[in-house]
Parts: sequence; C-alpha cells; structure tokens
Amino acid sequence: MAYSDKVIEHYENPRNVGTLDKNDPNVGTGLVGAPACGDVMRLQLKITDEGVIEDARFKTFGCGSAIASSSLVTEWVKGKTVDQAMTISNKDVARELALPPVKIHCSVLAEDAIKAAIEDFKKKRATRQQP
Amino acid sequence: MRTHFDVFGLPRAYDVDVPALEKQYRELSLQLHPDRQAGASARERLEAAERTTALNEAFKTLKDPVRRAFYLLKLHGVDLDREDAGAQKDMPMEFLEEVMTLREALDDAMAARNVAQARGMATDVEARRRAALAEAAEALRALEGSGDGAQVRKASHALGRLRYFTRFLEQVDAFEEEVLA
Repeated sequence: MAYSDKVIEHYENPRNVGTLDKNDPNVGTGLVGAPACGDVMRLQLKITDEGVIEDARFKTFGCGSAIASSSLVTEWVKGKTVDQAMTISNKDVARELALPPVKIHCSVLAEDAIKAAIEDFKKKRATRQQP
Repeated sequence: MRTHFDVFGLPRAYDVDVPALEKQYRELSLQLHPDRQAGASARERLEAAERTTALNEAFKTLKDPVRRAFYLLKLHGVDLDREDAGAQKDMPMEFLEEVMTLREALDDAMAARNVAQARGMATDVEARRRAALAEAAEALRALEGSGDGAQVRKASHALGRLRYFTRFLEQVDAFEEEVLA
C-alpha cells in the first residue's frame, strides 16, 4: 500500500511532537487508542480562558498514517477556537492526507483525540469554577 | 449466517479440540479436492471451490486460540477489527495511560540501544498478554448459552489489552532484529 507524499512528509518531519503539563488547568489531554491495531495517540491542547487553542502537542505510537494524522491536526487546531476545533472531522484529515480505506481509523483516532482533549479541558474548567 | 463453527459442525464454544479439528479439516479438504470433482458439473466444482475457501478460513480461525477468541467475541456483537470508531472508545482510560507509559519507556530503551531492557519489558508484557487471553477465554466460556453483557465487555476489554500488548511485543521484536542485524 502506497503512502501519499503528505503522509511521508509529516512522518519524516512531524510537527509539534512532545508533551504539555497535564496538570496545567489550561491544558486538555486526549488519550485514545485503536484495538484494531494496538496503537495509542496522545494529543494535548493549551487553551486560553477565552477558549482559543494557542498550542498543541502530540505523541503517537503507531503507523505512519496515525503519526501524520496527529501531526496534521496539531497544525490545524492552533489558533482555532474550541468550537471550531470540534468541527474538524476525520473525513477532512483523511482527504488532506489521501488515506486509503484501511487507514481511515487513523484519522478517526485524530478526531477522537481532539474531542477528548477538549472534553478534558472543559471538565477541568468546570471543576475550577466550582466554589 | 453460516459460522466457522458450523463449517465443522461444532458448538459455538471457546474450547476446541485442535488435533480433532485438524483431522476433520484434512478429511473435508480431501472430499472437496478438485481431483474428486472429476465427473462433477461446473456448478458443483464452483461450489466445491467456494466451500474450500470457507473451510480454510474456518480452520485458520478456529485452530488459533487468539483468532478464535476475537471471532467468538465478534459473534457476540463486538468486532475489535472494525476500522471505524466505536469499540475503540471503550477501553478504560487508566489502561491507555499505562500503554502510553510502556511505549514511552520502550522508546527510551530503543534510543539507548538497550536490548536487555527492552527484552525485560517484553517478558513482563508477554505474561500480561497470556493473562489477558486467559481472562478473555474465561469470559467467553461464561457466555456460552447466554448473552451476558458484562461478560461480553470483560472479553472485549481483555482482548483489547491483548491487542495493545501484541503491538508492544512486535515493536520489541523489530527492535531486536534491527540491533542484531
């Protein structure tokens, strides 16, 4: 199966690899996995109190498509509001990277990771706002 | 739907007598062999070929304890091989965190070219993989004759863990091959 040039490019030069402080109240962490292949993906978003994503980091243990999918979404979410980021769908990722059908689950992982990270951030904020 | 168990006339159960299965497989293969279809019509020969494919697939799945477990779970409604979302959100978060930690530790060992450390981690993960399969088998046996949702979930989580452990072990194997090459 042939990887697209975009997948290769992200695989060789992944953007925003790393970690953010998961205890920072402005950091949301999304951790997702795929039992179809046994891969894991962690996406962290640093979100301002106004709900703008100012930084993103990822760490993915998986195939080239999983790494490219997570690398791509870290680029996409930066500067977006939480609501805008929630609208990113796996289809957008799969189209951009020209993923073949057997690799669609990699893009699903990336979408799930964004949603999980935002959910984690919202949960933290809700806890913080409690008296 | 004709299941792999139906192909061999077996009950839908986790425990399979593999030597008996192999014997039956050879007999059935022989019956369907093209040499035996000499006087048969085109339709009959075509059907024999299709049944051979089904027989091979059923044998491959049932003789292997891991494939058999995943297949039985699928018959109970949970397909862990699905490429789209669904099952994947079901794993407990603590477990995914543990996998992440394991994979990060393995990454460090690989960066340091430390085969002994990677092998040590693999030994531990292999034991946990065996335990996960045993737990899945236990849940699948408990499901025979009844559709208990809690047991389906137990089997699904155990086989999910097995998948992640398998992936980890593949990584260690690849690393060892690379270093020793």
